[in-house]
Amino acid sequence: MVVEKNIKIGVVSCSGEDCLGGTISRMATRKMMDENTAYTVATLCLPLFLAGGEEERGFARKYPTIALEGCSKYCAKRATEKYSGKVSDVLNVADFIGDEMAESKLLSTRNLTDEHMQMINQVLTELRKKLDAIAKDCAVANGSDHELTGNCGCSCGGNK
Amino acid sequence: MSNEYAILPCNGLDKCAGCISREVALKMMEQTESEILCPVLYRVTDARYNKIAEEKPLLVVDGCKTRCASKIAAEKGLKVAKKITVTEEAKNRNMEIVDGLRIGENELKLTDDIVTELLKEKEKDEMLEGKSIFPETYEYEFYQKDKFIFRLPSTGFYFNENDVWVYIVGNKARVGVTDYVQKSLSDIMFFTPPAVGSEVEQFGELGCIESGKAVFEIISPVSGKVTSINDKLVSFPEWINENPYEKGWIVELELTELEEDQDLLLDYNAYLPIMKRKVDEFHV
Repeated sequence: MVVEKNIKIGVVSCSGEDCLGGTISRMATRKMMDENTAYTVATLCLPLFLAGGEEERGFARKYPTIALEGCSKYCAKRATEKYSGKVSDVLNVADFIGDEMAESKLLSTRNLTDEHMQMINQVLTELRKKLDAIAKDCAVANGSDHELTGNCGCSCGGNK
Repeated sequence: MSNEYAILPCNGLDKCAGCISREVALKMMEQTESEILCPVLYRVTDARYNKIAEEKPLLVVDGCKTRCASKIAAEKGLKVAKKITVTEEAKNRNMEIVDGLRIGENELKLTDDIVTELLKEKEKDEMLEGKSIFPETYEYEFYQKDKFIFRLPSTGFYFNENDVWVYIVGNKARVGVTDYVQKSLSDIMFFTPPAVGSEVEQFGELGCIESGKAVFEIISPVSGKVTSINDKLVSFPEWINENPYEKGWIVELELTELEEDQDLLLDYNAYLPIMKRKVDEFHV
């Protein structure tokens, strides 16, 4: 298990005002932030990112970042790659719950059902896997005898 | 429920205030016919939201002083009808917002307070403008049985099983009978209104209408205080036959227990089969 809090990974999540997929991605990101991870996860606010937030854009330039999409419009990935650089990975909620469900009517967080919570947990599990994989790459790169090349951008020497 | 705002929330995901802005937008959408403009998608594609932003007054809901939503509105050249910032609203109410992204009871209360105030202000503005807060016309679906055609508005209306409708705007409601009632009664000749100022409970009586066939007690779908009656119906009760949803409305109420009453209200999809069954059984 990687235990390095100096490893930082960003999550740019769809913030979801257009469809349910956004609600799911938003909740999965929020739950991720509640978890104790062996590395540092930072959520980058997508509306702020787009509005010119230099801190958010700078973080995504410097550290590996995952785009968490609510649907197949890929707003988070497109924005990150436009203003910061290539994302390390992409996770699309629609791949888990289907396009039709992802594009259905959005919900208040107080109206989420058990079914929605299952969807959120499913996405969260996959997000956690992707974050762990990136953190592992970064940690391996921090060692002296790794075979990885390239730079993940977080000053650790890992792959991005 | 009437058309209200096009709402542009900041919808931020780095502070709780952004999450509250989203909840405010969603609650406004639930309680009115407001539509939400996704601040992210709006930047990516104009086409989807420009029409909505032009047709409805724009409500901008910023989470914090960064005012991302206001920036989008400015960039798009949108005319802002109303603007609020969640952190300022909290400060004005001496409420603290938590640091994380989780919305707790306190944040939900703040959301509810903000929405209630927005709706009150909107209602006040409408009244000051001298306009009714209720639309003048609606769109209908039709159900035909033999030669009889029954109109039923498909959106914005709620019904009870006593064939009375209610249309809600904020804490105001307009009440009337359905097309099924007026067709069943045939020519309505008398309207006995309730007293203005009187209070009625859900399923209480709100006056009655009478034809040559029968007397129909108007069973209120909601609890409230009678603020206005359609006094034209006293002279022209036939207006109920002409259109029971528009010129034939019966009374207006100030709602007192909407949250509780909602459990027993039927929307179009729930009421339609009931009306169909009654029509089929009754053979109007």
